[in-house]
Amino acid sequence: MSVQVTEDQRDCYQEISNVAMGQAADKLARLLDVYVILPIPKINIISASDLHMALAGANTSDNVSAVCQGFIGSGIAGEALLIFNDASFTDLAKLMKYEGSLDYHGELELLMDVSSVLIGACLQGIGEQLELHFNQGHPVVLGQHCQIDDLVKAGNHQWSKTLAIEIHYEIENLNIDCDLLLLFTEDSVAKLNEQVDYLLD
Amino acid sequence: MSKSGLEFTEMHWLMDVLQNIDIGLVILDRDYKIQLWNGFMENHSGLRPDQVHDKPLFDSFSNIPADWFKQKAEPVFELKTRTFTIWEQRPYLFKFKNYRPITGRAEHMYQNTSIIPLESIDGSVKHICVIIYDVTDIAVKQQDLAKVNSSVAISLDTPSEDTPSEDTPSEDTLSENTDSTDDVTNLASTTDALTKLMTTDQWQKNLAEECNHSSGSLILIEIDQPEDTDVDQQDDIISKLALLLRRASRQLDIVGRLQHNHFAIFLVDAQAKTAVNFAERVRSKFAETAINGDLFTVSAGVAELKQGNNDHLGLYSNAEKALRHAQGNGKNKTTLYQT
Amino acid sequence: MSVPILICDDSSFARKQMNRSLPDNWDVEVTFATNGLEGLEAIRQGKGEVVFLDLTMPEMDGYGVLENIRKEDLHAMVIVVSGDIQPDAQARVQKLGAMAFVKKPIDKLKTTQILTEFGILSSE
Repeated sequence: MSVQVTEDQRDCYQEISNVAMGQAADKLARLLDVYVILPIPKINIISASDLHMALAGANTSDNVSAVCQGFIGSGIAGEALLIFNDASFTDLAKLMKYEGSLDYHGELELLMDVSSVLIGACLQGIGEQLELHFNQGHPVVLGQHCQIDDLVKAGNHQWSKTLAIEIHYEIENLNIDCDLLLLFTEDSVAKLNEQVDYLLD
Repeated sequence: MSKSGLEFTEMHWLMDVLQNIDIGLVILDRDYKIQLWNGFMENHSGLRPDQVHDKPLFDSFSNIPADWFKQKAEPVFELKTRTFTIWEQRPYLFKFKNYRPITGRAEHMYQNTSIIPLESIDGSVKHICVIIYDVTDIAVKQQDLAKVNSSVAISLDTPSEDTPSEDTPSEDTLSENTDSTDDVTNLASTTDALTKLMTTDQWQKNLAEECNHSSGSLILIEIDQPEDTDVDQQDDIISKLALLLRRASRQLDIVGRLQHNHFAIFLVDAQAKTAVNFAERVRSKFAETAINGDLFTVSAGVAELKQGNNDHLGLYSNAEKALRHAQGNGKNKTTLYQT
Repeated sequence: MSVPILICDDSSFARKQMNRSLPDNWDVEVTFATNGLEGLEAIRQGKGEVVFLDLTMPEMDGYGVLENIRKEDLHAMVIVVSGDIQPDAQARVQKLGAMAFVKKPIDKLKTTQILTEFGILSSE
């Protein structure tokens, strides 16, 4: 199956993602009482071998921690991957008023709290605009303090090309940044395009 | 199918299913008072719905840390977003005993939970639903692999901390910590006290098991500097290296301290190239990490185990040859064993 | 006489969606702009008595447009239609003189409400 999106569809995905990331940022802003800087989301058709390239938005030399969460609804499925730069944890702990010691366990708590909000709100935002409801699976911690290359092993994927939405979040005046990558399954893309075409009509 | 379109019988079926499903369902109001308590919850807690109804959750279950739980639940009320907890964070929300005398090896049920908002007609969220999944089997399997219990909050930056302080890491971890204490005792024989890595016996056992069914690569690492510095300094060096290894490895990798300054890491499913990269990362990072003002280095030997070749002793000896080669050629190096 | 409306957004989908959200039976003359500079030029030419303005755009963003409207003392009633709905963003555009702030995604109901609220559309 060939995965393609037209220019109009890409524009539409971008706008939908833009609105969804805005809603997620708003929730994070209210939760943490900060201002979240929002760049324009990137829409790409990527091949499995490029997956780690798509993740290269985060500084590759830094250690990262990542959470993955599957979602499915109305014939559309995918996975959300949230990658945190490890340098973010100190500031994040302050914002979340986390009082325990910032060890693995403490960082896991922060990782889970923030990913719940960001992934959940973003999926909800996209779902609402496309009139879909996504069920979310349980989040899985892919790794803590590892290199991006180790997170996603090349060559183990069942798909060749698919749609990826990349969103970069940064918090104003603080050393916190993370990348959210939404990756849809190959056969979801046709269905997604249909929903988008319906909006474009 | 809209909710109002549900026939009465279908509604009845659904209620039956919710009552009998092997998943815990609890509905809480804004004051965390229990409004719904399904069969799963009743059976595992021994408390009937009428015994808990309209009672604050934290009264009936005093071992649920209220602050921690509220931090997860408040965004659900306020932001209408779903939140999740996983057993690695906290083994369970509700402490339920293991109910399977034959296949249940854990002492209590491990739980993942989802907390979802329930919107009222005016669009606000006045109730939330806590969904409890029994993940004991997954947790036990993962722990078998890693032999590290997540409920033991190990303070990684202070690895020399005494063991007793670790089962009471902070107030927000389980208020009732008897299980963790048991785990610490169990861990003691399999885990090196200084580094929290596997001991030789445990490591060999895990490696032999893993070699039977997977491919992967073995890395042996030794500290280059002679062991004539004082004991405290030695401990600091070893702790630092162990910390690097723990951070760089994944949960499923088998990481052990085999002798005083001799470490072994089996990277499951990793090809030689990946393992060399791993070793190089650890080597270069370690070389630039000052320990009490001094710099130290390590040498590493790498050997790959192909799928189907379960000769873990041969693998070890190959990696050791590579390590000796690295040490014999100027140290602070990684060598790959080549056939 | 028809009201000159300007829809300023870099996304063609968003422009289309905005255009579709305009109330029926409202006599308007719609101009589209794909970035802040184009938008500002249209306002200067009197094509934007009512402006629906996005915030994140290339060339010049929505904040820049608002600043220039004020600087040049242009006549325009600006309704910011934004995906960035954080409290800070709302406060900032209000300070810059925007008449109203509407959260994306936009729809007919929201547009009608806001236009009626500010008396641009009579509720007959």
